[in-house]
Formats: sequence, C-alpha cells, structure tokens
Amino acid sequence: MGAGAWFTAHVHAAERAFRRLLSQPAGTLLSVLVIGIAITLPLGLYTLFTNITAAASRVNTDPNVNVYLTLNASEAEARNLEKTLRSRANVGSIRFISRESALAEMKRIANLADLLASLETNPLPHALSIRPISVDPAALAQLRQEISAMPKVEYVVMDFEWAQKLKRFASFAERLMILLGMILALAVVFVTGNTIRLQILTQRDEIEVSRLIGATRRFIRRPFLYFGALQGLLAGLLAVAAVLGFIAWAGTEVAALTLSYGSEFALQAPSLTQAIGVTLAAMAMGWLGAFLSVWLYLRRSKP
Amino acid sequence: MIAFSNTAKRYPSGFEALKGISCTIEKGEMVAISGRSGAGKSTLLKLAAGIERASQGSVMVNGQNVSQLKEAGLAVMRRNFGLVFQDHKLLFDRNVFENVALPLSIAAFPHAETGKRVRAALDKVGLLNRERSNPVTLSGGEQQRLCIARAIVNRPSILVADEPTGNLDREYAETIIDLFKSFNQVGVTVLLSTHDEGGLARLNCRRLLLDGGKLVP
Repeated sequence: MGAGAWFTAHVHAAERAFRRLLSQPAGTLLSVLVIGIAITLPLGLYTLFTNITAAASRVNTDPNVNVYLTLNASEAEARNLEKTLRSRANVGSIRFISRESALAEMKRIANLADLLASLETNPLPHALSIRPISVDPAALAQLRQEISAMPKVEYVVMDFEWAQKLKRFASFAERLMILLGMILALAVVFVTGNTIRLQILTQRDEIEVSRLIGATRRFIRRPFLYFGALQGLLAGLLAVAAVLGFIAWAGTEVAALTLSYGSEFALQAPSLTQAIGVTLAAMAMGWLGAFLSVWLYLRRSKP
Repeated sequence: MIAFSNTAKRYPSGFEALKGISCTIEKGEMVAISGRSGAGKSTLLKLAAGIERASQGSVMVNGQNVSQLKEAGLAVMRRNFGLVFQDHKLLFDRNVFENVALPLSIAAFPHAETGKRVRAALDKVGLLNRERSNPVTLSGGEQQRLCIARAIVNRPSILVADEPTGNLDREYAETIIDLFKSFNQVGVTVLLSTHDEGGLARLNCRRLLLDGGKLVP
C-alpha cells in the first residue's frame, strides 16, 4: 500500500469511527463516563498526593530534639542545662528558646494574640532545641532517656518523628496509588474492550463480507482502534476536566483553611504536560482495549 | 487462470463435497458449473476464491497455490475477484451506494474515484437511480444486481458467481446472464454455477457438470 492509499485508509477508518461515536450518543456518553471516572480516580489521587508531598516538603524534617523545662525553671537554670548538654556526645548544636520569645512567636504565627493577651501569666516554659549528631534511633532514644532524667526537665519531644511518619505515609500512598492506577488502567482497557466487543457483534456481517471481498485484518481492526482511541481521548479529557473542576471548587476553601492555621497553601492543578500525558495514556489504553477485543474476535473467525 | 488438480474437499462433519477434481479455466474464459443441489458447485467456487481450503490436491489461481496462501495473501488475491454470493451478503445498515463502495474502501480508493466507479457500476446494472436506497427496499432481482455491482466495481480479473440467477424470474435471469456475458466480452474470466438449463443455454459457454462431488466427463 502506497503512502497515499495508507493515508486514505486511515482517513476512512477515522471517519467511520467518528460516525460510530456520533451514531450512538447515549452509549458513547455512558462508556466515556465510565472510563472517565476510572481515569479520574487515579488522576485525582495523584494530584492529591503531589499536593501532600509539596506540603510535606515544606515541613522541616531535620532531626530535632526539643527539651521543655518545668515552669518554675529559671533562665539561669536553663542556661546551666544548656551548658551541661553541650558536653554530651550526641549533641550537635543547641538553641535556647526563652519562654518570652516562645510566647511572642506563638502570638505571631497562630493568630492567638487576643487569647494569649488575656492570660495573666505566660503558660510556656523555657525550652532547648537540640540538633543531634546521630539520627540512629537507639542513640536518640538514649539521649532522650538521659535528658528526661535531668533536673528541671518536664518532657522531651523528638518533633521530627511525625514528619518522618508523614514521609513514610507518603511513600506508602505513592505505592498504593501506583497499584490503584494500574488496576484502573486495566479496567479502562477492559471497559473499552467490552464496548468494542459489543460493536463487533453489531458489525459482524460487515466484517464477514469485508473479509470475503479482500479486507485484511488491519482494515477490519483500524476503525475499531480509532474508536477505542477516540473514546479514550474523550474520557481522558473528561478526567482532566473533572480534576481541574474539583481544584477550582475546593481550592479556595483549602487555601482559606490553611491560612486560618497560619500557613499559606494552595492546591496545585496537574500541569499541562501531565494533563496531556493522562489524555494520551487514556487514548493508548482505549486503543489497547480495542486491539485486544478485535484480535480475540479475528483469531476465532475464519479468514 | 484457475487450475484444480486432484482437488478434494471434506468438511469437518465428514461430508465429502468434492472428490478428485481436475480441470482448468483459462484466462478470459467463461465457464458454467452445473449440477443438482449438493453436487459441489458452491464448494468448487469457494475453493477458487479461497473461502474454503482444499483437503487434498491443489487450487492454483494465476500461478498461486490458494491452499498455501496466508491470510494477508488471501486478502490480496480476493481483491482480484468479484464475488457474487448466492445469499447476496448485502449490508442492510448501509445504502446501495455504500454497499457497492465497500471493495473500494478496502482498497483505499480516494472519495472522488470511489464516487465515479460506484456510479459506473450501478449504471451498468441499472440501479443508478437507487443509490441512496436501503437494500432492504430492493426486490430480489435488484438485490442480485446490487451484489453484481459490488462484485464488478473493483474491475476484477475473475468474476465468481454462485447461482446468480437462482430464485429470479426469467426476465431478470436473462438480464443478469447478459451482464455476465458482457463482462466476459471485455476479458473478465467468469466462473458461475447454475442449475438453470435456460440460463445455461443463453450463456453459451463451456460447461462443467458435477455429480456427487465428481466431474462428469
């Protein structure tokens, strides 16, 4: 087949696929909706995940051990404790946070100025923020135990633990999302395959006659492949639109919510490259579903 | 040229439709295959067109052994054939024009050329004024002529027709036989089956008589 004939054959096949899509608007809409939802789920989760990851990356996850002293500990006692701790083996640097500066900081970041101003006394203790040399869990546990036993120490908090947990959770969520994405991608292939199978059944006479008068497998397959890809394209666009719509709808609320906690955070929509990538992947899955369906049918039928 | 050499066909049910057929149909020749129902006429035509494969012996078409052709090769070979089926095999979800255009679509003809050829074929069989009709609205004779139009639109070198005049009244049958004669006169090899004695006489061509799957000398 020459280049001109090849192009003509593809134009014919694309036209036929497009006509089939338009000739069954209700069926097409239903299939596109089902496939679109199947793509929206992993895309939505991915968007959520990237947003959580972005938020987590802004959190300081450097190992930090915070030592809170008793309320009756004086600044001199706190400074003495600082000196003692500096001589410890696993202590890198120490920052002293006075109860006054802690209160001032709290007023600044938590929008609690009015509430804190109404207090007669400062409820915050002096604190020491330690950067340990080793983050080995055993070494850290030992450090915590030693500091806890010191006089005037109320409690010791290793405030990076939750951030590490968040990272682990993000890593787990990423794997879960990949698995879910793969399962739903398979679902897209099967949904498209089933749609095409039903189409094949309605076009069985045409396929039989076409083969009798010289149609190759490629000729038979081509319009179905275009149909599957077109369906995938529409479903991909629907999924992207759904996620963008959700971000536009919920984004302002999320921004307002995080602002009330003294933080600035806005939901990020998938990038143009990601949107195109998802749409192309949906087309590819539609194409694959159609290919498998026609392949199975032709394999069983007589040449 | 179509050559059968000691060709036999046994169906999976065990029925032996053809037994040791050996004959040759020359290029540009018109041959009528006759015989009673079940004599093997349709099977012989199907073997020539590669729709069925021989169980024994060979079928050569223009130097190619049809039994050894792979699927893609068969498809290419069939494009040189014009097939007129006993049951017409028309597509009732397409109009007359689209039915005739199908072989050209398979061969990836451009739209403009397709239009010209389809109208020429419909004109030849007298259905030009029905191109937008659905085949279901056509009479039996018109459906048969539509099937012929589809078979000739690709300008095939070999025309194979299975009972093209079956179930038609005399007037229609004669029109169709004359059509085949006119195709043969322009060099098309014509191989058709019929059990209509009147049609055979009108065809005035070489005749192969089959009986019980064997050629009667």
